[in-house]
Amino acid sequence: MTRPVTVETIAERMKEFGTVEQVRKNRIRIRTVPDKIHDAITTAQAMLGFDRLITISTVDNGETLELLYHLIGSHRIIISLSLDLPRDKPVTPTVSDLLPPAGIYERQIHDLFGITFEGNPNMKKIILNEGWPENEYPLRKDWKPNAGVFYGGIKVERM
Amino acid sequence: MGVPDTGMSQRLVNWARAKSPWITVYNSGACNACDIEIIACLMPRFDVERFGILVKGSPRHADILIVTGHVTLKQASRLRRVWEQMPEPKYVIAMGACGASGGVFHGLYHMVESVDCVVPVDVYVAGCPPRPDEIINAVVTCLNLLEEDAAHGGKEWRQKKPATGVDAEGKSCTVVS
Amino acid sequence: MPEVVVSIGPQHPALKEPVNFKIVADGEKIVRLELDLSYNHRGIEKAAEQRNFIRVLPLLERVCGICSHSHATVFSKGIEEIMGLEIPPRAQYIRTIIAELERMHSHLLWLGVAAHVIGFNTLFMWTWRDREAVQDTLEEMSGNRVHYGMNEIGGVRRDLTPAQVEAALERLPALEERIKKYVEMVNSEETMLIRFRDVGKMSREEALKYGAVGPTARASGVDYDVRRDDPYLAYAEVPWNVITDTHGDVYGRTRVRVGELWESTQIVRYCLENLPAGPIRVDAPKNAPKGEILSRYEAPRGELAHFIRTNGTDKVERVDIRTPTLANWTSVAVCLVNQNIADIPVIVAAIDPCLSCTSRMTVVNRVDKEGR
Repeated sequence: MTRPVTVETIAERMKEFGTVEQVRKNRIRIRTVPDKIHDAITTAQAMLGFDRLITISTVDNGETLELLYHLIGSHRIIISLSLDLPRDKPVTPTVSDLLPPAGIYERQIHDLFGITFEGNPNMKKIILNEGWPENEYPLRKDWKPNAGVFYGGIKVERM
Repeated sequence: MGVPDTGMSQRLVNWARAKSPWITVYNSGACNACDIEIIACLMPRFDVERFGILVKGSPRHADILIVTGHVTLKQASRLRRVWEQMPEPKYVIAMGACGASGGVFHGLYHMVESVDCVVPVDVYVAGCPPRPDEIINAVVTCLNLLEEDAAHGGKEWRQKKPATGVDAEGKSCTVVS
Repeated sequence: MPEVVVSIGPQHPALKEPVNFKIVADGEKIVRLELDLSYNHRGIEKAAEQRNFIRVLPLLERVCGICSHSHATVFSKGIEEIMGLEIPPRAQYIRTIIAELERMHSHLLWLGVAAHVIGFNTLFMWTWRDREAVQDTLEEMSGNRVHYGMNEIGGVRRDLTPAQVEAALERLPALEERIKKYVEMVNSEETMLIRFRDVGKMSREEALKYGAVGPTARASGVDYDVRRDDPYLAYAEVPWNVITDTHGDVYGRTRVRVGELWESTQIVRYCLENLPAGPIRVDAPKNAPKGEILSRYEAPRGELAHFIRTNGTDKVERVDIRTPTLANWTSVAVCLVNQNIADIPVIVAAIDPCLSCTSRMTVVNRVDKEGR
């Protein structure tokens, strides 16, 4: 890189992946789509010096589930790439091949929100208790413990 | 059981047990605060080893099980198994506000309601987390119980019915041991 | 030779916290491992959405008993930024003092545990004895040894009296003396050098690639420290240095931590001596406006991030907690490959794992490392 990376250059470069918005003096938020996330991260890594994934956050927006990939680089500017996934079929490609730590985050999101990451080699459930029933995602807004379902632990004998 | 064994060897064992209780600590899903306070007990400041209290890694060697914190769903069966591995007579201390009722975690989805839903508890220690001196006090209280039980020939004299608790749906439950 | 699967944990004498390793070993060498960290999952994030800001702070403090102030501070810092509150300087300084005392007690604790796992129990006893001085200071200031409960939205709940400041300053010289001794020991004590050098090596590239944070990353020469990169509390005003090391092994991580211990004593000393006068809190509104923030904080174990979204009520819409230990697990799995089974406790202890933090939202990681 010849010139220093600033908020403006990042915003300029990342424009092609979606709407760019500066939310804090050192944080840029980019609203993109699942198909472009791979390219966006590759570009950020190769051209803009983003070398670390801080975390993947998830929010339940009601109709959609939102994923936010927060990346940081040596210039200490954060980009948050956000994705909106439909609630009934939340599927997105994995980024664990580009960012190895994402593997962990994706697995926990899969268990707690039921988002499927296509291409993640190890997606089986182990996050929650072994006896946790299928298709119950505790961090979704509409989830409530169901009295008739056994969630694991030990069975107790009623008096 | 029921009639105290007053033979010479049994009295010697009871005496030894009360003078040097061995303890095992099980973190059943606590926030670590209770655990570091237990380790602090072993350190030069409080130094429980001078009272003969020894912390062991294996439940098979232990007289007293200290359960730190509430019990998560995943830990419930493991805690039960650890408790089953202990030799009789065994005592359980539930540590902290979480051990008694769940504390701030009361009602969270991935938890068993309280420790006594899983194993019968003999002594509760209040505090979040209890100070090391309170932990020592709890062990001493447990030793008094141990001596009284030895005199009565078992735990039955103070347990009219099995330990009870409340399960996740608010119904009372009993532990079958 | 056929591969053997060794299962360690969750209840094991060498482990202080519930974790399960399934280690695939070829002879004495580790081929790969599976971690199961989910024993402490409680569901705090769900509960945080249902409690208001006053009630959620004690809950978040209990995400972890060792870095409790970190979780409460990072959350209140984020909410205050959303509300646009300016925190009085005295409150900032008090928060900084507690934060650095917490770092000191955490690092002393770690040094003791690391010494314990290599069988050097003398140092274990020494560091924990010295840690009591820090605990006493914290207890005097906050009223509790572990969960301090100092934070509230808009400032801190307790002021420091001149007597408390004086008592804390009186304890510092003895601590500094001891920490100097530890710095010397780490570099010269044969027992530690033999067991720490070249164990769990991680290069700078690997540390970046696998997302290591905190002292683990800084020991490999990765120069990330939120306190300097994105200054919060009083760190912009206090003179201090980021400690890095180039060894990349457990020895390097020990050097970084004892170096940070020294820096922490100096930060605490500076803050106590230059404590500004004034109020300790501002009145915070009951509700926070709509907004979102990624609040970052350098906890003793590394970078802690809370992603907070508010919706105009007195509760959060979502708080997503990413703890430093969680970020470090991938790198630990990489470190362990090709090491001796006997070195597992040292390497795992070297990232200073804090499992109750990690599994507030449980995570299990399985790294199928391509043969190296």
